[in-house]
Amino acid sequence: MDIWGLFTDYTIRNVTLGSAILGLVSGGLSTFAVLRRQSLLGDAISHAALPGIGLAFLFTHNKELMILLAGAFVAGWIGTGLMTLIIRHSRLKEDTALALVLSVFFGFGIVVLTHIQKLPIASQAGLESFLFGQAASLVASDVRLFTLISLIVFALIALFWKEFKLLTFDPDFTQTQGYPIWFLDTLLTTLLVVAIVIGLQTVGVVLMSAMIVAPGASARQWTDRMGIMFFLSGFFGLLAGTAGALTSSFVEKLPTGPTIVVYLSVIVAVSVLFAPHRGLVAGWIRRRTANVEIFKHTVLLALYDLSRHHPDERHGHSEKVIEKALPAEVDVHKILQALETEHLIQRVNHNHWIITAEGLQKINQLNSEHVNHD
Amino acid sequence: MTNKELAIHVEDLTVAYHDKPVLWDVDWDVPVGVLMAVVGPNGAGKTTLIKTLLGLIKPVAGKILFFNQPYQQVRQRIAYVPQRTSVDWDFPTTVLDVVLMGRYGRLGWIKRPGAADRQAAMEALEKVGLQQFAHRQISRLSGGQQQRVFLARALTQEADLYLMDEPFQQVDATTEHAIVNILKELKKEQKTVVVVHHDLQTIREYFDWVTLLNVRKIACGPVDSVFTEENLRLTYGGHIPVFQNAMINGQ
Repeated sequence: MDIWGLFTDYTIRNVTLGSAILGLVSGGLSTFAVLRRQSLLGDAISHAALPGIGLAFLFTHNKELMILLAGAFVAGWIGTGLMTLIIRHSRLKEDTALALVLSVFFGFGIVVLTHIQKLPIASQAGLESFLFGQAASLVASDVRLFTLISLIVFALIALFWKEFKLLTFDPDFTQTQGYPIWFLDTLLTTLLVVAIVIGLQTVGVVLMSAMIVAPGASARQWTDRMGIMFFLSGFFGLLAGTAGALTSSFVEKLPTGPTIVVYLSVIVAVSVLFAPHRGLVAGWIRRRTANVEIFKHTVLLALYDLSRHHPDERHGHSEKVIEKALPAEVDVHKILQALETEHLIQRVNHNHWIITAEGLQKINQLNSEHVNHD
Repeated sequence: MTNKELAIHVEDLTVAYHDKPVLWDVDWDVPVGVLMAVVGPNGAGKTTLIKTLLGLIKPVAGKILFFNQPYQQVRQRIAYVPQRTSVDWDFPTTVLDVVLMGRYGRLGWIKRPGAADRQAAMEALEKVGLQQFAHRQISRLSGGQQQRVFLARALTQEADLYLMDEPFQQVDATTEHAIVNILKELKKEQKTVVVVHHDLQTIREYFDWVTLLNVRKIACGPVDSVFTEENLRLTYGGHIPVFQNAMINGQ
């Protein structure tokens, strides 16, 4: 397949566009799922949607995507509602309710799909592709449907951004401001169900939760503003969707959904490791620099202390002595060299050191800063 | 009761969690313009009382009126300062944004905060001494600063009644001072403030009215007449430390 095929090949175009839109929508909603600590809700909803697909087919004997997805939507929504009811009216906790709905609905879904496979009708084949997704079956009308749905989803988020943000940050306060949280919560959850349902055909029931967790978790690493996080999260989803769809088109027998998830994993890994403030590497560097600063102060104070015991200002102090002021694993040479380049200490002979006038000044300065902090 | 208007009027309020009563048959009146402390041991139902007043918890029975009207009608006039620990402070937003949330109620659906709201928020931040932190990410605040942000958020609502849940809990001296000043200022403006409080030693200094609560209402009234050793014993059982007795009795 050459690059030209990208634009002309009907299947590739639909698969790529469909995956991109799906990534964008689930990525945007991922921001809310992650910030509301509902990462696992996505997993429960996608599994709960499976029986809906099967039942929709059983009742209509029609494999039109719109009909199957409508079934998935209803089942996903019922699953979510059931979870809320269980949490509110029983003493079961949230994780139990989640796991219950996920496994019971999924099990029931498998039963329905198995039953359908045994039916003597020709059109039944292919429903099991919803388990792991089959992006190649996307057609132009599906892409149009996805586009329409995504426009509605983003319009609603834009409209209720202020309310959704408030709900996400502080639900109790939202209610005291006169906004019915059951309405906002239901609306936001419904949008999440919609995003999940349109991903079922491409990514599948099993992997869909990655689309709801990974973009938001990654985006949070790069920014401290919810608005930017929302756009970034959508962008990450779009990126992974597009890249996954294209890669699987060029490499034979590479499934689209799992490939998208692999790209998402890379985005997560890079974000968790290398993001400027929240990244692990940045934190590691920060701790190291902070440690070096502390060790420098320790050495400086030690030299100051030693100098007070010796009337002769030029009396140097051995590295062996200074070393004792530091933890055993710290390289005293490096610390001394760093202090020397700042002219805070001075070498008097081979490995003997004294504190300079600037060094003394630095100690005074550090002391007064300390007092001001109190 | 006197003819003075009541900021809060509660009758026969009972709240239960899974059959266990947390508040039992509480009758409670808070006159307009008082600084009211609500004290009681852990599990006495102090937070539950505040949340029930605000409609966040549904009572089993009872009647609640604010300024002689049901909550829905006067919601705008009632500001809420929740416990600082009730939200995730790692949320991606700024101090100013959080304070602006106090304006959302009057803004109504869909409308975005404008210049006037931003100015009100900045003024509130100034009152709590945080104006220079307006654009700071909220995770980079100390506990005391977080508490002041919540206070500023309530102030922007320009309410007549303030319900504060443990605002003095684990805060630094600067914050404690700032809160006390705001309480005084609200008092001067004839506002009513109800504060869930832990520290019995500062009751006389900070408040003029006090409610002693332990599932039932033990006593409620001006500090001088109800903040007595006997009432405290009834509220806390035998657990009030002896050294506090002198302080309770007055001097």
